[in-house]
Amino acid sequence: MKKQLALLIVSGVLANAGGFNPSMQGYIDSLKVEAKKSNNSFADFNAKRGELIFTSKHIGKRGREISCASCHGANLSLSSQNAFTNKSIEPLSPRTNPKRLTNVQDVQKWLKRNFNDVYKREGTPQEKGDVLYYIKSK
Amino acid sequence: MKKILLIVPFLLTGVLLVAVMADDDEDHRSIGRSIGDVAVSKDATYIKECGSCHFAYQPGLLPKRSWVKMMNTLDNHFKDDASLDQKTTKYITNYLVKNSSDNAMDYKRSRKITNSISVNQTPHRITKTPYFIHKHDEIPKKIIVQKEVGTLGNCIACHTAADRGIYSERAIKIPNYGRWDDD
Repeated sequence: MKKQLALLIVSGVLANAGGFNPSMQGYIDSLKVEAKKSNNSFADFNAKRGELIFTSKHIGKRGREISCASCHGANLSLSSQNAFTNKSIEPLSPRTNPKRLTNVQDVQKWLKRNFNDVYKREGTPQEKGDVLYYIKSK
Repeated sequence: MKKILLIVPFLLTGVLLVAVMADDDEDHRSIGRSIGDVAVSKDATYIKECGSCHFAYQPGLLPKRSWVKMMNTLDNHFKDDASLDQKTTKYITNYLVKNSSDNAMDYKRSRKITNSISVNQTPHRITKTPYFIHKHDEIPKKIIVQKEVGTLGNCIACHTAADRGIYSERAIKIPNYGRWDDD
Protein backbone atom coordinates (compact mmCIF):
# COMPACT_ATOMS: atom_id res chain seq x y z
CA MET A 1 0.00 0.00 0.00
CA LYS A 2 2.76 2.41 0.98
CA LYS A 3 4.62 1.55 -2.20
CA GLN A 4 1.49 2.20 -4.26
CA LEU A 5 0.96 5.50 -2.54
CA ALA A 6 4.57 6.50 -3.12
CA LEU A 7 4.24 5.51 -6.77
CA LEU A 8 1.06 7.52 -7.03
CA ILE A 9 2.74 10.56 -5.55
CA VAL A 10 5.79 10.18 -7.79
CA SER A 11 3.65 9.77 -10.89
CA GLY A 12 1.58 12.72 -9.75
CA VAL A 13 4.67 14.87 -9.39
CA LEU A 14 5.99 13.69 -12.75
CA ALA A 15 2.71 14.38 -14.46
CA ASN A 16 2.64 17.73 -12.77
CA ALA A 17 5.75 18.59 -14.71
CA GLY A 18 3.26 18.70 -17.58
CA GLY A 19 1.32 21.01 -15.35
CA PHE A 20 -2.07 19.55 -14.42
CA ASN A 21 -3.24 20.42 -10.92
CA PRO A 22 -4.08 17.49 -8.59
CA SER A 23 -7.81 17.43 -9.29
CA MET A 24 -7.27 17.64 -13.04
CA GLN A 25 -4.62 14.92 -12.80
CA GLY A 26 -7.18 12.81 -10.97
CA TYR A 27 -9.62 13.33 -13.84
CA ILE A 28 -6.94 12.46 -16.42
CA ASP A 29 -6.12 9.29 -14.47
CA SER A 30 -9.77 8.25 -14.37
CA LEU A 31 -10.02 8.83 -18.14
CA LYS A 32 -6.96 6.61 -18.58
CA VAL A 33 -8.62 3.79 -16.64
CA GLU A 34 -11.71 4.12 -18.85
CA ALA A 35 -9.65 4.32 -22.04
CA LYS A 36 -7.82 1.14 -21.15
CA LYS A 37 -11.10 -0.70 -20.63
CA SER A 38 -12.11 -0.25 -24.28
CA ASN A 39 -8.62 -0.38 -25.79
CA ASN A 40 -6.20 -3.00 -24.44
CA SER A 41 -3.19 -1.53 -26.22
CA PHE A 42 -3.84 1.95 -24.81
CA ALA A 43 -0.69 3.36 -23.17
CA ASP A 44 -1.21 7.10 -22.76
CA PHE A 45 -3.03 10.02 -24.31
CA ASN A 46 -1.46 11.68 -27.28
CA ALA A 47 -1.41 15.38 -28.20
CA LYS A 48 -0.96 14.59 -31.91
CA ARG A 49 -4.15 12.51 -31.96
CA GLY A 50 -5.80 15.29 -29.98
CA GLU A 51 -4.80 17.85 -32.58
CA LEU A 52 -6.54 15.83 -35.28
CA ILE A 53 -9.69 15.60 -33.18
CA PHE A 54 -9.52 19.33 -32.55
CA THR A 55 -8.92 20.48 -36.11
CA SER A 56 -10.82 17.96 -38.26
CA LYS A 57 -14.15 19.15 -39.63
CA HIS A 58 -17.50 17.47 -39.19
CA ILE A 59 -21.12 18.32 -39.89
CA GLY A 60 -22.02 19.59 -36.47
CA LYS A 61 -25.24 19.81 -34.55
CA ARG A 62 -26.30 22.91 -36.43
CA GLY A 63 -25.85 21.22 -39.80
CA ARG A 64 -22.76 23.26 -40.69
CA GLU A 65 -19.28 21.84 -41.23
CA ILE A 66 -17.21 22.86 -38.22
CA SER A 67 -14.28 21.83 -36.07
CA CYS A 68 -13.35 22.82 -32.52
CA ALA A 69 -11.04 25.39 -34.15
CA SER A 70 -14.01 27.08 -35.85
CA CYS A 71 -14.74 28.79 -32.54
CA HIS A 72 -11.48 28.39 -30.62
CA GLY A 73 -9.27 29.45 -33.54
CA ALA A 74 -6.23 27.75 -35.04
CA ASN A 75 -3.83 29.50 -32.66
CA LEU A 76 -4.85 28.57 -29.13
CA SER A 77 -2.84 31.35 -27.53
CA LEU A 78 -5.07 33.98 -29.15
CA SER A 79 -8.62 35.03 -28.32
CA SER A 80 -11.20 33.86 -30.81
CA GLN A 81 -14.88 34.19 -31.60
CA ASN A 82 -17.87 31.90 -31.30
CA ALA A 83 -18.70 31.20 -34.96
CA PHE A 84 -22.43 31.39 -34.30
CA THR A 85 -22.89 34.18 -31.75
CA ASN A 86 -19.74 36.29 -32.37
CA LYS A 87 -19.06 36.31 -28.63
CA SER A 88 -15.34 36.46 -27.94
CA ILE A 89 -13.69 33.42 -26.38
CA GLU A 90 -10.60 33.71 -24.20
CA PRO A 91 -7.51 31.78 -25.33
CA LEU A 92 -7.66 28.03 -24.70
CA SER A 93 -3.92 27.69 -24.16
CA PRO A 94 -3.17 27.23 -20.43
CA ARG A 95 0.16 28.95 -21.00
CA THR A 96 -1.50 32.20 -22.08
CA ASN A 97 -4.65 31.70 -20.02
CA PRO A 98 -3.72 29.95 -16.75
CA LYS A 99 -7.39 29.44 -15.76
CA ARG A 100 -7.78 26.86 -18.53
CA LEU A 101 -7.80 23.15 -17.62
CA THR A 102 -7.88 23.85 -13.88
CA ASN A 103 -11.49 23.11 -12.94
CA VAL A 104 -12.61 19.52 -13.55
CA GLN A 105 -16.31 20.37 -13.58
CA ASP A 106 -15.82 23.06 -16.18
CA VAL A 107 -13.64 20.80 -18.30
CA GLN A 108 -16.21 17.98 -18.17
CA LYS A 109 -19.02 20.37 -19.00
CA TRP A 110 -17.29 21.79 -22.06
CA LEU A 111 -16.03 18.45 -23.36
CA LYS A 112 -19.56 17.05 -23.24
CA ARG A 113 -21.11 20.09 -24.89
CA ASN A 114 -18.50 20.69 -27.52
CA PHE A 115 -18.14 17.07 -28.66
CA ASN A 116 -21.93 17.05 -29.09
CA ASP A 117 -21.82 20.30 -31.04
CA VAL A 118 -19.01 19.27 -33.40
CA TYR A 119 -19.28 15.45 -33.49
CA LYS A 120 -22.97 15.05 -32.63
CA ARG A 121 -21.95 12.52 -29.96
CA GLU A 122 -20.02 12.53 -26.74
CA GLY A 123 -16.29 11.95 -26.92
CA THR A 124 -14.80 8.64 -25.78
CA PRO A 125 -12.51 8.75 -22.73
CA GLN A 126 -9.51 8.34 -25.02
CA GLU A 127 -10.62 11.18 -27.30
CA LYS A 128 -11.22 13.45 -24.33
CA GLY A 129 -7.77 12.73 -22.91
CA ASP A 130 -6.11 13.22 -26.30
CA VAL A 131 -7.78 16.61 -26.73
CA LEU A 132 -6.78 17.66 -23.20
CA TYR A 133 -3.16 16.69 -23.90
CA TYR A 134 -3.28 18.67 -27.12
CA ILE A 135 -4.63 21.80 -25.40
CA LYS A 136 -2.12 21.36 -22.60
CA SER A 137 0.73 21.20 -25.13
CA LYS A 138 -0.20 24.61 -26.55
CA MET B 1 -20.89 60.73 8.11
CA LYS B 2 -23.94 62.94 8.69
CA LYS B 3 -22.89 65.11 5.78
CA ILE B 4 -22.71 62.09 3.49
CA LEU B 5 -26.20 61.02 4.57
CA LEU B 6 -27.49 64.46 3.69
CA ILE B 7 -25.98 64.24 0.23
CA VAL B 8 -27.42 60.82 -0.56
CA PRO B 9 -31.00 61.98 -1.39
CA PHE B 10 -29.58 64.55 -3.82
CA LEU B 11 -27.47 61.94 -5.48
CA LEU B 12 -30.51 59.70 -5.83
CA THR B 13 -32.53 62.54 -7.32
CA GLY B 14 -29.75 63.02 -9.82
CA VAL B 15 -29.86 59.37 -10.77
CA LEU B 16 -33.64 59.51 -11.17
CA LEU B 17 -33.42 62.62 -13.34
CA VAL B 18 -30.89 60.94 -15.60
CA ALA B 19 -33.12 57.86 -15.76
CA VAL B 20 -36.14 59.95 -16.78
CA MET B 21 -34.15 61.87 -19.36
CA ALA B 22 -32.79 58.69 -20.82
CA ASP B 23 -36.31 57.37 -21.16
CA ASP B 24 -36.74 58.82 -24.61
CA ASP B 25 -38.98 56.23 -26.17
CA GLU B 26 -42.40 56.83 -27.60
CA ASP B 27 -44.40 55.76 -24.57
CA HIS B 28 -44.10 58.59 -22.10
CA ARG B 29 -46.95 57.29 -20.02
CA SER B 30 -44.54 54.87 -18.46
CA ILE B 31 -42.30 57.60 -17.05
CA GLY B 32 -42.53 57.71 -13.33
CA ARG B 33 -43.67 54.12 -13.08
CA SER B 34 -40.41 52.60 -14.26
CA ILE B 35 -37.33 52.13 -12.18
CA GLY B 36 -35.24 51.36 -15.25
CA ASP B 37 -35.19 49.51 -18.57
CA VAL B 38 -34.31 46.03 -17.37
CA ALA B 39 -32.80 44.88 -14.08
CA VAL B 40 -29.05 44.25 -14.40
CA SER B 41 -27.96 40.61 -14.09
CA LYS B 42 -25.56 40.40 -11.20
CA ASP B 43 -25.54 36.72 -10.36
CA ALA B 44 -22.01 35.39 -10.87
CA THR B 45 -23.14 31.83 -11.62
CA TYR B 46 -25.64 33.05 -14.18
CA ILE B 47 -23.11 35.31 -15.86
CA LYS B 48 -20.50 32.58 -15.96
CA GLU B 49 -22.75 29.79 -17.19
CA CYS B 50 -24.97 31.74 -19.56
CA GLY B 51 -22.61 34.45 -20.67
CA SER B 52 -19.76 32.30 -22.01
CA CYS B 53 -21.24 31.70 -25.45
CA HIS B 54 -23.48 34.71 -25.85
CA PHE B 55 -24.42 38.01 -24.23
CA ALA B 56 -25.77 37.32 -20.73
CA TYR B 57 -29.34 38.38 -21.50
CA GLN B 58 -31.07 39.88 -18.49
CA PRO B 59 -33.68 37.55 -16.95
CA GLY B 60 -36.20 40.39 -17.29
CA LEU B 61 -36.20 40.00 -21.06
CA LEU B 62 -38.44 36.90 -21.07
CA PRO B 63 -41.39 35.70 -18.97
CA LYS B 64 -40.88 32.85 -16.52
CA ARG B 65 -42.67 30.27 -18.67
CA SER B 66 -40.06 30.89 -21.40
CA TRP B 67 -37.14 30.47 -19.03
CA VAL B 68 -38.54 27.29 -17.53
CA LYS B 69 -39.01 25.79 -20.98
CA MET B 70 -35.50 26.84 -22.00
CA MET B 71 -33.85 25.45 -18.89
CA ASN B 72 -35.62 22.13 -19.47
CA THR B 73 -34.14 21.79 -22.95
CA LEU B 74 -30.53 22.89 -22.45
CA ASP B 75 -29.14 19.84 -24.25
CA ASN B 76 -30.62 21.32 -27.41
CA HIS B 77 -30.26 25.04 -26.82
CA PHE B 78 -30.89 26.65 -30.22
CA LYS B 79 -29.18 23.58 -31.69
CA ASP B 80 -26.22 23.77 -29.29
CA ASP B 81 -25.55 21.55 -26.32
CA ALA B 82 -25.62 23.92 -23.36
CA SER B 83 -26.32 21.28 -20.72
CA LEU B 84 -25.41 21.92 -17.09
CA ASP B 85 -25.27 19.67 -14.07
CA GLN B 86 -28.54 19.30 -12.14
CA LYS B 87 -27.57 21.54 -9.26
CA THR B 88 -26.51 24.44 -11.49
CA THR B 89 -29.56 23.99 -13.73
CA LYS B 90 -31.85 24.26 -10.72
CA TYR B 91 -30.02 27.26 -9.33
CA ILE B 92 -30.12 29.19 -12.59
CA THR B 93 -33.76 28.29 -13.26
CA ASN B 94 -34.70 29.72 -9.86
CA TYR B 95 -32.70 32.86 -10.55
CA LEU B 96 -34.31 33.35 -13.97
CA VAL B 97 -37.84 32.75 -12.71
CA LYS B 98 -37.40 35.09 -9.76
CA ASN B 99 -36.15 37.88 -12.04
CA SER B 100 -38.26 37.09 -15.13
CA SER B 101 -40.00 39.88 -17.06
CA ASP B 102 -43.39 39.09 -15.52
CA ASN B 103 -41.79 39.34 -12.08
CA ALA B 104 -40.10 42.64 -12.92
CA MET B 105 -43.01 44.75 -14.09
CA ASP B 106 -41.49 47.88 -12.49
CA TYR B 107 -38.93 47.85 -15.27
CA LYS B 108 -40.11 49.42 -18.49
CA ARG B 109 -38.79 46.92 -21.03
CA SER B 110 -39.72 43.94 -18.88
CA ARG B 111 -43.26 45.24 -18.61
CA LYS B 112 -43.53 45.95 -22.32
CA ILE B 113 -42.14 42.58 -23.30
CA THR B 114 -44.48 40.80 -20.90
CA ASN B 115 -47.53 42.72 -22.08
CA SER B 116 -46.72 42.11 -25.74
CA ILE B 117 -46.84 38.33 -25.45
CA SER B 118 -50.22 36.63 -25.51
CA VAL B 119 -50.84 34.35 -22.55
CA ASN B 120 -51.00 31.19 -24.63
CA GLN B 121 -47.56 31.79 -26.14
CA THR B 122 -44.18 30.81 -24.76
CA PRO B 123 -41.52 32.47 -26.91
CA HIS B 124 -38.21 30.72 -26.99
CA ARG B 125 -36.24 33.70 -28.22
CA ILE B 126 -36.19 37.29 -26.94
CA THR B 127 -35.96 38.32 -30.60
CA LYS B 128 -39.33 36.62 -31.27
CA THR B 129 -41.31 38.56 -28.67
CA PRO B 130 -43.77 41.01 -30.29
CA TYR B 131 -42.26 44.01 -28.46
CA PHE B 132 -38.75 43.15 -29.64
CA ILE B 133 -39.92 42.59 -33.23
CA HIS B 134 -41.76 45.91 -33.21
CA LYS B 135 -38.67 47.74 -31.93
CA HIS B 136 -36.33 46.24 -34.52
CA ASP B 137 -38.49 45.89 -37.63
CA GLU B 138 -37.05 48.90 -39.44
CA ILE B 139 -33.42 47.92 -39.23
CA PRO B 140 -32.00 47.02 -42.65
CA LYS B 141 -30.84 43.43 -42.88
CA LYS B 142 -27.35 44.38 -44.08
CA ILE B 143 -26.71 46.16 -40.78
CA ILE B 144 -27.64 43.03 -38.86
CA VAL B 145 -25.69 40.48 -40.89
CA GLN B 146 -22.45 42.49 -40.98
CA LYS B 147 -19.69 40.73 -39.09
CA GLU B 148 -19.58 43.20 -36.19
CA VAL B 149 -23.19 42.31 -35.36
CA GLY B 150 -24.13 38.97 -36.93
CA THR B 151 -27.55 38.43 -35.40
CA LEU B 152 -30.25 40.45 -33.67
CA GLY B 153 -29.40 38.48 -30.55
CA ASN B 154 -26.04 40.26 -30.23
CA CYS B 155 -27.48 43.09 -28.08
CA ILE B 156 -24.22 44.63 -26.98
CA ALA B 157 -23.00 45.11 -30.56
CA CYS B 158 -25.34 48.12 -30.92
CA HIS B 159 -26.80 48.72 -27.45
CA THR B 160 -23.54 49.89 -25.96
CA ALA B 161 -24.86 49.82 -22.38
CA ALA B 162 -26.84 46.58 -22.69
CA ASP B 163 -24.70 44.96 -20.02
CA ARG B 164 -25.94 47.65 -17.63
CA GLY B 165 -29.54 46.93 -18.55
CA ILE B 166 -29.86 50.11 -20.62
CA TYR B 167 -31.54 49.80 -24.01
CA SER B 168 -32.49 53.45 -24.65
CA GLU B 169 -32.01 54.99 -28.07
CA ARG B 170 -29.35 57.29 -26.66
CA ALA B 171 -27.11 54.35 -25.92
CA ILE B 172 -27.34 52.89 -29.42
CA LYS B 173 -24.35 52.98 -31.70
CA ILE B 174 -24.58 50.66 -34.68
CA PRO B 175 -21.21 49.59 -36.11
CA ASN B 176 -20.49 51.21 -39.50
CA TYR B 177 -23.74 53.13 -39.24
CA GLY B 178 -23.84 55.25 -36.09
CA ARG B 179 -26.74 56.38 -33.99
CA TRP B 180 -30.25 55.10 -34.59
CA ASP B 181 -33.17 57.51 -34.67
CA ASP B 182 -36.56 55.88 -34.67
CA ASP B 183 -38.48 59.07 -35.48
